[in-house]
Amino acid sequence: MPRRRTFLRHANLIGICAVMLLPFYWVLKTAVTNENIYAYPPRLLPEAPHLFNFVDVWYFIPFPRYLLNSFIVSALVVAGNIAFNAMAGYALTKNFPAKRAFLLLFFSCMLIPFQATIIPAYLITSQLGLLNSYLGLAFPLLSTIVCIFVFKAAFEAVPQSLIDAARIDGLTEWHIILRVLLPLSKAALATNVVLAFIWSWNAFLWPLIITREPTMQTLPLGLARFLSYLEDTTGALYAFAVMVLAPSIFVFLMAQREFIRGLTSGATKG
Amino acid sequence: MAPWLKSRWVTVPLAIALTVLAWNAYVAINAGGKVEGRVVDAAGRPVANASVILLERHFVMHNERQRTRTDGSGYFQFTGNDNHSLQLEAEAAGLGRSERRAVRLWFRAQNVSLTEPLQFSAQLP
Repeated sequence: MPRRRTFLRHANLIGICAVMLLPFYWVLKTAVTNENIYAYPPRLLPEAPHLFNFVDVWYFIPFPRYLLNSFIVSALVVAGNIAFNAMAGYALTKNFPAKRAFLLLFFSCMLIPFQATIIPAYLITSQLGLLNSYLGLAFPLLSTIVCIFVFKAAFEAVPQSLIDAARIDGLTEWHIILRVLLPLSKAALATNVVLAFIWSWNAFLWPLIITREPTMQTLPLGLARFLSYLEDTTGALYAFAVMVLAPSIFVFLMAQREFIRGLTSGATKG
Repeated sequence: MAPWLKSRWVTVPLAIALTVLAWNAYVAINAGGKVEGRVVDAAGRPVANASVILLERHFVMHNERQRTRTDGSGYFQFTGNDNHSLQLEAEAAGLGRSERRAVRLWFRAQNVSLTEPLQFSAQLP
């Protein structure tokens, strides 16, 4: 009986997975053919698949440049998130006056959409002279509140005695974060890496506003540009979408175990 | 071997880097910009002195880039191609035009030799 139940559960899960993966499959199938997505009747299997749409994408627009820009910005964002969020998360594990007010402020800031703060963000970036630069592109995402709380939850799970022992051994607060807390919070670290990378990789509005030259544009902007060039080339368009998606899926797959552990730990400890 | 060397965060990016490196080496060796093939009539006989046109793709249009002529054995060759999506067409007096053949390359300036010749629908007298 339990075996039959397991089988049913797995069959259900496989069915749900198939439904959820169908759009991705359709994107991939369209990318390797030149079929129109509105063709009727739709074909489940690709007919005469080929990879030349990917070659077209690589050469028709400066794809390598966009890819490099996206990687540089994402690397800056990931580095910033790990550094700043770890520091903020550690600070929030301490007791200090008005801690609750700070927590409330953080939570309420999470409710404000980025679009509402985009003008002040632009003015600050402009005042700092960071418009049309990699650092400027990464600037608003260098620290994110959700990820601060992921670190806070992970750091709170580390026994206080361990931190006290490190302090007795003469470690400074910086060293405690670097040598004790971060190595023990790999799940939170992976969560930060994955979320920061994906958010930065997919950012469209901010790069659109602060870039001045095509050479500073990132992949989502390149996708919009590509759309304006090749209006009817469905296959190449979807090939571009696959090429934009691939790195974030890759990062997620690499860190998925720790990522899921980090998120669940955040959910139960926060 | 140090344990960190076995980590997937090292092995997978390293494997990707090596693949990219190998691919770039292959591209560097094979990017000579040479396009060659043969032109035959409907009976499969080589067509000498036929004009062969190379068109290259620019977004949604194909524009003529080069012209050459076939030799006595119907052989033609273009050099200096720097595109990745081409079309080839032959024309000869008395035979009209051949079908336009799309040639897709894996990278710009890839050396390519047509496996099937360009064929006219008419026969030489």
